[in-house]
Amino acid sequence: MGNLLTDVAMQAFAPATAAFVLAAIGLNYHFGLTGLLNMGQAGFMLLGMYGFAISIREGLPLWLAVLVAMGAAILFGLLLGWPTLRLRGDYLAIVTIAAAEILRYGMRSQTFVNITGGAVGVPGNQFKWVFENLSPFPAERVTIWIFTMHGSKSTSWWLVVVAWTLVALLSLMFWRLSKSPWGRVLKGIREDEDAVRSLGKNVYWYKMQALIIGGVIGALAGIVWALGSAAQSDAMGRMTTFWIWTMLLLGGAATVFGPILGSVLFWVGLALIKGLARLYIPQDVLPTTAIEPFSLVLVGVGLILLVVFRPQGILGNKKELAFHA
Amino acid sequence: MFSRLDKRFVRAAILLLVLCAGFVVASLVLGAPAVAAEVAPVASSPSTGTLVVQQVINGLAFGVLLALASVGLSLIYGTTGVSNFAHGEQVALGAVLCYFFATTEPVSIPLIPVSMSFGWPLPIAAAAAIALAGGTGWLQDKFLWNPLRKRRVAVLQQMIVSIGLSLALLNMLQWWIGGERLRVTNTIGTRYTFGDFYIDRQTIISVIIAAIALVSVSLFLLKTRRGRATRAISDNPALASASGIRVDGIIRLVWVMAMALAALGGILLALYENGFSYDSGGRLLLLMFAAVTLGGLGQAFGALVGSIVIGLVTEVSTVFINPDMKYAAALAILILVLLVRPQGILGKSERVG
Repeated sequence: MGNLLTDVAMQAFAPATAAFVLAAIGLNYHFGLTGLLNMGQAGFMLLGMYGFAISIREGLPLWLAVLVAMGAAILFGLLLGWPTLRLRGDYLAIVTIAAAEILRYGMRSQTFVNITGGAVGVPGNQFKWVFENLSPFPAERVTIWIFTMHGSKSTSWWLVVVAWTLVALLSLMFWRLSKSPWGRVLKGIREDEDAVRSLGKNVYWYKMQALIIGGVIGALAGIVWALGSAAQSDAMGRMTTFWIWTMLLLGGAATVFGPILGSVLFWVGLALIKGLARLYIPQDVLPTTAIEPFSLVLVGVGLILLVVFRPQGILGNKKELAFHA
Repeated sequence: MFSRLDKRFVRAAILLLVLCAGFVVASLVLGAPAVAAEVAPVASSPSTGTLVVQQVINGLAFGVLLALASVGLSLIYGTTGVSNFAHGEQVALGAVLCYFFATTEPVSIPLIPVSMSFGWPLPIAAAAAIALAGGTGWLQDKFLWNPLRKRRVAVLQQMIVSIGLSLALLNMLQWWIGGERLRVTNTIGTRYTFGDFYIDRQTIISVIIAAIALVSVSLFLLKTRRGRATRAISDNPALASASGIRVDGIIRLVWVMAMALAALGGILLALYENGFSYDSGGRLLLLMFAAVTLGGLGQAFGALVGSIVIGLVTEVSTVFINPDMKYAAALAILILVLLVRPQGILGKSERVG
């Protein structure tokens, strides 16, 4: 039981949680501010993690690898936004999810096995060392209070520090931008596109900027995720995007702390459900292999209840509700 | 209609075509030998032409089976405006239920630690599965979608509800049958060969059943009062309601029909692909969306045309690119068509932006 609580509490600040916070912050630019239904956020994460991992493997320095990842996301955003941002919301949803899946099929395909590593992906030991060598923490397991993690390898204290610093910076940026004239135009587009257009704003270009900024943040999320595990394409499928949506809607779209609260609650809740189910539900009712799907069924039901009964999420403002059209 | 095509769209389409061509070339140059050996059990080294014809046969069969699922998706979109993201799971549910009734292995229901075994013959099991799946449509509309419509919940919000439903159902199915690939039936069908080409007996029967189902749906839509009412709601719900059509009743019927069709599609696709898993429906979801969008959102006959196009593209593409990319090829066609003709092949050219 004590072990379980430690594990659950660790989920609250794990690097994976931070990666999803970042992805949700990106989605917050799309959906929260601009009202774009981007169902392909996992695609941006995929580009981030592969762009980064492949660049490092090919010998590029760390900063350039991060730039390559971000550049890939910008390119993807441009390609995606160009045909779809003129279309109605549900078209955007279908095209973005299709594009993200095309990327995933492409990266796991045998066709590009020499570049992307096929279904296996790029193993962690081929690209993580550059980041791990920078670690100021000792290269051994470190215990702080009741939490034990490796100092600098994979899911480490080093990654925790970097990831949450990134979260803090990007949250600050979101707060500043959403209060700026630029952010107000985006909110205007969300509320009434035609009104903004009649003010002489280039709605299409504003939407494109939001799509790209959110996508680049998604790519950073992908890098953080990859540094905690590996660059593997099946981790970033359709369902990953749906999870990110759940997190954002749970915390509250268009809020600064919504993505953080949403992701932390999501992962802590998931770990808690799994742990309790393992402890208290007998094996013959719920075998071990069924615990994971069982907890995700609850996530799905939770998403339905959330959208029906509290669409603005925990922190959201009902007046700023972003479901229009 | 081509005279009205925007120059911008033409340029966009040409650029995308070039990109696609570049991609194919790149995959041929960079990749392992792309032509799959497994698709051609006929001659030792058949020509590309032969392979294409064989894949056209397969593609037509796949398209007709896919149409079963996408016609329902399109009907739901037409009458309610909701893009139902849980439709893929409904397709898998059909296969799972059919397996549940048909298999002689012991099976059980989640949370109930009693194993049972039905072992019904395939047609009876399939009929039971379709009936039950239709029942899930009724339940869904009664307890979920109808109340949401009554509360005037926005369409986009309903779409996210369907995403939640998809998450829940997908994991429910995994929990139920586990992660491995299963077969609905263990019989190995006869294969007819005509010269260089072949087709399975099972596939022929499946396509005939699917064609009968699709023709009946078409007749229903075109010839019966309720069918006309359905199309009227798709056209203009407010006007339909004002002229005395019971909109809620028709939508309930559409949900039952769509779910039953999806289940039939799921069973036949499981037979066609010689197996299914908990996520085989979810993987098809995007192909269905592609088919529905290609044909024109909400146009039931458009979905039929779109499905056949998608089926053909999916199977024929395996001749030129690695089969693990075939779904990607179909989705690329979707994006291409949206660029040139956003309203779809049969859609009315209304403003979609």
